[in-house]
Amino acid sequence: MGSAAKKPVYLVETPKELEREPLVANKRAPGWISDQIAAVIEGKTPRWWWIAFVISFLTAGMCFSMIGYLIVTGVGVWGLNQPVMWGWAIVNFVWWIGIGHAGTLISAILFLLRQKWRTSINRAAEAMTIFAVMCAGIFPAIHVGRIWFVWYPLPIPNANDIWPQFRSPLLWDVFAVSTYFTVSLLFWYMGLIPDLGTMRDRLRLQAEKIKEPFAKLINKVKQLLYGFFALGWTGSNRHWSNYEKAYLLLAGLSTPLVLSVHSIVSFDFAVSQLPGWHTTIFPPYFVAGAVFSGFGMVLTILIPMRKLCKMEEIITVRHIELMCKVTLATGSIVGYAYGMEFFIAWYGGSPYELYAFKNRAFGPYAWAYWIMVSCNVLTPQLFWFKKIRTNMVVVFILSIFVNIGMWFERFVIVVTSLHRDFMPSNWGYYSPTWVDILTYVGTMGFFMTLFLLFIRFLPLVAISEVKGVTPQADPHDKLGGAKDEGGTH
Amino acid sequence: MKPNTDNGVKHWRSMEAMQGREVPSAWQGEFPEGAFERDEGFARRNFMKLMGASFGLAGLGLLGVGCRRPEELIMPFGQQPENYIHGVPQYFASARPARTGAISIVVESNEGRPTKIEGNPEHPDSNGSTDMHTQASILDLYDPDRARGNHNKDKKTLTRDAALEELDKLIESGRTALLMGESTSPSRARILKQIGNKAQVFTYEPIDDDIHRRSATEAFGKDVRPYYRLDQASTILSLDCDFVGVEADTHRHIRDYAKGRKLNKGSTDMSRLYVVEPRMSQTGANADHRLRVKAGAVHGIASAIAVRLGIEGFDGKHLPKGVEAKWLDQCVVDLKKSGVVMTGQGQPLAVHVLAHAINQKIGAIGSGVQFLPAPNPGHGTIEDLAKASFDVLVILGGNPAYNAPSDIDWKNLVGGKTVVRLGYYDDESAVDADLFLAQTHFLEEWGDARTSDGTTVAVQPLIKPLFDGLSELEVLARIADEAKSANEIVQATVGRSGDSWKHFLHDGFDAGTKATPVKVGAVNLSAAKQAPEVKEGELEVIFARDSSVDDGSFANNGWCQELPDPITKITWDNAVLVSRVTAKKLGWSNGDVVKIGLDGRSVEGPVWIQPGQADETLALALGYGRDKGGRIANFDGKQVGFNAYKIRTSEAPGFVSVDSGKVGKAKGSHNFACTQDHWSMEGRAIVREANLEGDHGYQKHKDFAHHVGLDAPDHAKHTIDPKTGKPYPIYQHPYDAKPELKNQKVQWGMSIDLNSCVGCNACVIACQSENNIPIVGKDQVERGREMSWLRIDRYYTGFDHDPGAGDTDGDEAQAAEEWIDDPQVVNQPMLCQHCEAAPCELVCPVNATAHDDEGLNVMVYNRCIGTRYCSNNCAWKVRRFNYFDYNKRPLNALYKGPLASNEENDPTGWDLVKMAKNPEVTVRMRGVMEKCTYCVQRIEEAKIARKREASREYKDALAGGDEDIAVSTMVADGKIKTACQQVCSAEAIVFGNQADPKSEVSILKEQERDYTVLGFLDARPHTTYLAQVRNPNLEVPGPFEGYYHKPLSAQEYDAVAHGGDHHDENGHDDHKEDSHKGESKENH
Repeated sequence: MGSAAKKPVYLVETPKELEREPLVANKRAPGWISDQIAAVIEGKTPRWWWIAFVISFLTAGMCFSMIGYLIVTGVGVWGLNQPVMWGWAIVNFVWWIGIGHAGTLISAILFLLRQKWRTSINRAAEAMTIFAVMCAGIFPAIHVGRIWFVWYPLPIPNANDIWPQFRSPLLWDVFAVSTYFTVSLLFWYMGLIPDLGTMRDRLRLQAEKIKEPFAKLINKVKQLLYGFFALGWTGSNRHWSNYEKAYLLLAGLSTPLVLSVHSIVSFDFAVSQLPGWHTTIFPPYFVAGAVFSGFGMVLTILIPMRKLCKMEEIITVRHIELMCKVTLATGSIVGYAYGMEFFIAWYGGSPYELYAFKNRAFGPYAWAYWIMVSCNVLTPQLFWFKKIRTNMVVVFILSIFVNIGMWFERFVIVVTSLHRDFMPSNWGYYSPTWVDILTYVGTMGFFMTLFLLFIRFLPLVAISEVKGVTPQADPHDKLGGAKDEGGTH
Repeated sequence: MKPNTDNGVKHWRSMEAMQGREVPSAWQGEFPEGAFERDEGFARRNFMKLMGASFGLAGLGLLGVGCRRPEELIMPFGQQPENYIHGVPQYFASARPARTGAISIVVESNEGRPTKIEGNPEHPDSNGSTDMHTQASILDLYDPDRARGNHNKDKKTLTRDAALEELDKLIESGRTALLMGESTSPSRARILKQIGNKAQVFTYEPIDDDIHRRSATEAFGKDVRPYYRLDQASTILSLDCDFVGVEADTHRHIRDYAKGRKLNKGSTDMSRLYVVEPRMSQTGANADHRLRVKAGAVHGIASAIAVRLGIEGFDGKHLPKGVEAKWLDQCVVDLKKSGVVMTGQGQPLAVHVLAHAINQKIGAIGSGVQFLPAPNPGHGTIEDLAKASFDVLVILGGNPAYNAPSDIDWKNLVGGKTVVRLGYYDDESAVDADLFLAQTHFLEEWGDARTSDGTTVAVQPLIKPLFDGLSELEVLARIADEAKSANEIVQATVGRSGDSWKHFLHDGFDAGTKATPVKVGAVNLSAAKQAPEVKEGELEVIFARDSSVDDGSFANNGWCQELPDPITKITWDNAVLVSRVTAKKLGWSNGDVVKIGLDGRSVEGPVWIQPGQADETLALALGYGRDKGGRIANFDGKQVGFNAYKIRTSEAPGFVSVDSGKVGKAKGSHNFACTQDHWSMEGRAIVREANLEGDHGYQKHKDFAHHVGLDAPDHAKHTIDPKTGKPYPIYQHPYDAKPELKNQKVQWGMSIDLNSCVGCNACVIACQSENNIPIVGKDQVERGREMSWLRIDRYYTGFDHDPGAGDTDGDEAQAAEEWIDDPQVVNQPMLCQHCEAAPCELVCPVNATAHDDEGLNVMVYNRCIGTRYCSNNCAWKVRRFNYFDYNKRPLNALYKGPLASNEENDPTGWDLVKMAKNPEVTVRMRGVMEKCTYCVQRIEEAKIARKREASREYKDALAGGDEDIAVSTMVADGKIKTACQQVCSAEAIVFGNQADPKSEVSILKEQERDYTVLGFLDARPHTTYLAQVRNPNLEVPGPFEGYYHKPLSAQEYDAVAHGGDHHDENGHDDHKEDSHKGESKENH
């Protein structure tokens, strides 16, 4: 020992190059976060919201009038035929279900993986999930020939002792999708409880300043509603402790569902014997595709939303970049799957299988196949570049390409496999009718209507969770504890 | 008893009930105490006999005994007639008259309403089969557009009596001419004689089948007509004669032809078919050797053959381009070995006479062709009518205003004349008629006719004329001042009364009246030399009888309109058929509308490029483009197809050369509703074929069918489970789950012999009639939504066709590919395969399609919610979905949904069609999947009958003191016939219990030719096929080298499976018995 011993060097600060960008920019304080998020609900309804809402609402109305026409007239109003007995309805179903993947993945799997960046986006993504699954759920229901008997697949005991056919993947779908929807809804609602409490409390504080009796009444009604759904949340230690346990459990429960729901949707195809459908690669490939399309949709929605709702400091460029990276990864998996399908079609030795894939790439629907490949394989590769990842306009446009590509992926799978299968005498061609198109466009209106209502009436970012990942929430951080540098309160 | 008012409508069971003085005992309880209970078994055939006989013998008190009670009113029964059981169909023998030979039939009647027609198996010249038009004719009876009563010029409706009085008045007003179609009816001939000089008689048929009689009479100088016996011939040469398609008497020709093609019972010999023809006909599709030449060149070919046979007076050197002398030499060699030559009705008289001479030279007379006496009726033709002078024209049947030769100015002919029209429809010929008489359907009238072998058959009504109509015989009798009713006239003609008459009606025919062949002398060749002139480079227009709508008389029959043409697979249209080369030369492509001008008249029609068509020919099917044809013929207010009669003249009814300058593109394009867009089989082993002879032939490799496809042992190695020796199944086999099913005594199965199937479409219509299959309209067919449970797939196979090369360009491109010029054609009836491990059953979420204990894949309509997953997973795509309420809503207003007029209240009477429905089969609503059931209603009917019979046998045995009796409730083999099987003249479809090794179907399935379509999927279908064998003469040069090495489909398969260079190794000479391990022969 002695004086020769050097004084140990304690790293007080992370070196610049290792420093992570903060999840909330500008070292914003918790109070600011609450105000900023609640402002979307509490402020005056912006003009853009009204415009978007009216358009979405009318489009949703169109969707339901198309469905009405379909129900009173027959499924024939769509472009389906022999041999293509599933068309846009199933394509749209799988597409929407795929979109519904991002939310629960972000909130459950990323939660379990301690990915703190999820907090800024999970609420909106989960809402998107729920609305997307609602849109998805429309299609299997209305695509059946006799919608008034659509409850037959439910296992309801009846006098005839007829049960559903438990070997049919469509039945698994019924269970998988309904379970996924229920759990996603519960998970989303659970996460909302502390924020609903916050909203209730804020309304109570604001009530004191309101003089006008009608506004007072509205405030009271809102308080009651938020209060009712907050389930008596007080933010006590015990509430937090129970909440976090429940959240963890639900996250654990949702995680396999994220993987199962699209695996099961893929069984609709994989269990059949149709060349192009009957593939073991489908479950992982569908899940990857679903995550890919889900993140695509999250990007499409969040990029304008963070701008319009002034969330740039909470949903930062870093968040967008991270999502781009997920998109890049899943997009590459999807691209790999496309290649592997072709390899197996050749390697498997079945001429029917080989033909199905050749027909995809070079047959009458080659245009759809190449749209799919360019959107799904080439587009995400651009996300290797930071310049692109950080350019919001470019990311927004590319995310739309991802959505288009994933829709075409389902179209390619459903339609090109069916239109030329085993017996050349059956071969045909399918094209949609105006009812197909308007119904699909209409569901986007339905989705946007719900999403706009969500933005307006519920905190679109998980207030409590975001606060939890700020430096201030970390007692070991120099900003932690009661220290407050950047905030206003 | 109070009337039933549940639905707001009051129903009384009788007049008495309405007046409240009904004797209840007459109907209360289905079988009141001590009431009659039939204790006979009611197997279909016995039942028919029984019912026919008992109705006759019961002698309901009047002379008009028959199936129809002689009272003129049909009312609800006040008292149950004896022997009538509600809900049990009755069967009556009758006949469907046709131009040159009637078809003896048995008609099923449900509650007094005829619903299905079958052939009369008792008739000596029948096997119980019928043809497509006979099947479809039941729908005509209930055609809502048929004439609804008689009327005068002012459209005032007249009763039968008033109309006949009006007829008397008009006839007396001046000189009368009668124009009618051809008929074999002895009664009509008798009444016409009775009319004598009171009227001039003219006949006209747009399809001139009488040419056979005229040519034979010309050739032999005797009143004879030819009667072909194709089963007696080992070689058949067809000179533009579509004898399995659109010629007369096809169902009989198909039966005889198929007999010669059967390879069952170990036979390795079959007949050979040479066809010389311009357009690809159904016969050409079946040909072993086919020569495509212009119709005008057929005479040249025939004379070249005549020369080779030593018939003098022909040079035989004017062969069309591309016809090799060796082809003809070999054809002659084959013809000498008990061959026969047939000539199509579209060919001129010269070719017919020449064919008679050839037949005589090769010794076919007496075997392949017989000559039956055929007196010349001595009527004038329509050209004679145009020259005749008369004041009153009575048009009986036909539709001359629409289909008369275009050189006859019909408007001018009838102008200023008094016109009386007896018509089934208020059609073109009825316009401006001074008196319109509604014609009866043959199921509503008394009459008689002769089948082609000369046997007299009875035409008896099954129902009172629905719209107060009159039969041709009744109108003629009135003109002849014959006071007797049609019934009495026929009795007088056949010379029967009392029991003998009843017996005649019961049998439906008089076996003793069969014509005896007459000896014929030398052929007078003078008429054989007028050869039609054929100019190279000039286009030839061919007028063909349409396979669906005939000459236009079935144009308003929805089943016929929607029936895919057996070759083109086009529905709801005719087309200008043209070869690829000619289309290319003229710059035409599919759907282009072209104008064809001839002698100042012209017609416009859309182009369809037809594989195998002779170059420089345009084939136009007749019978379309109706001006006034009803709501099917003028579907949605538009003409269906175009009217080729517009340019057809009396000099050239068959074909004519046209000036190429008068043919050219017109404006617009046309969409065809074609049910099979893709022509090639893409080298897939779906239809399996071999030649009879040669190194790879059937005679050397009887099991050739097991050496193609993925289920062939040399392909299936890695897909076969070594434990079971079968392919690894995708789905669990129901027998694995329920082993007790495996030992079921009954497993229904079907075997379809592709070798005898000619693709005639009769089964398609029979299925439609039996199973209440709706039509959907052209728009829906275009969308690929036709409903037929049974379809006939037709593939073209070509030489040097690289499957998979051109298929990526879409189906439009195939019309420009060279391989279609001289294709071979294969047909395959495709229906539900009733798989044991059915892919459809596994994926239905609601158990709407399930397997029953007897091996049927059943469809539960009530349970079906219409996910359509079953159809997606069906590899054979035989399921059909009700996209709309086809049975309920007018077909031209499907998209209006509930806004479309509801048929129930439709005054125009769409609902009349409902009368044609089979009450045993559910009518499906929208949103429900449907498919072939193997005619489960017939199976159940037979099972119930057998059980009743068995119980009676058991009781009888007990009564007889035998206590150890064991009575089987199994239905005897052959008792159950599916509708498609029953109608099949070729007997190509056999249905039965494949669990019974002695059943006919099991024996057929034991044959080595038996194979499963897509067997590698291991769904184990109960419908299997007997592979096709072609019988080419290996010495005959083909259009290209290697043509006869193997059938082209087998060559295509080799190209796909082995890269095309395996002609020699691929003979599978290493056949060992054990190489069959992989075959699923045990799937019975």
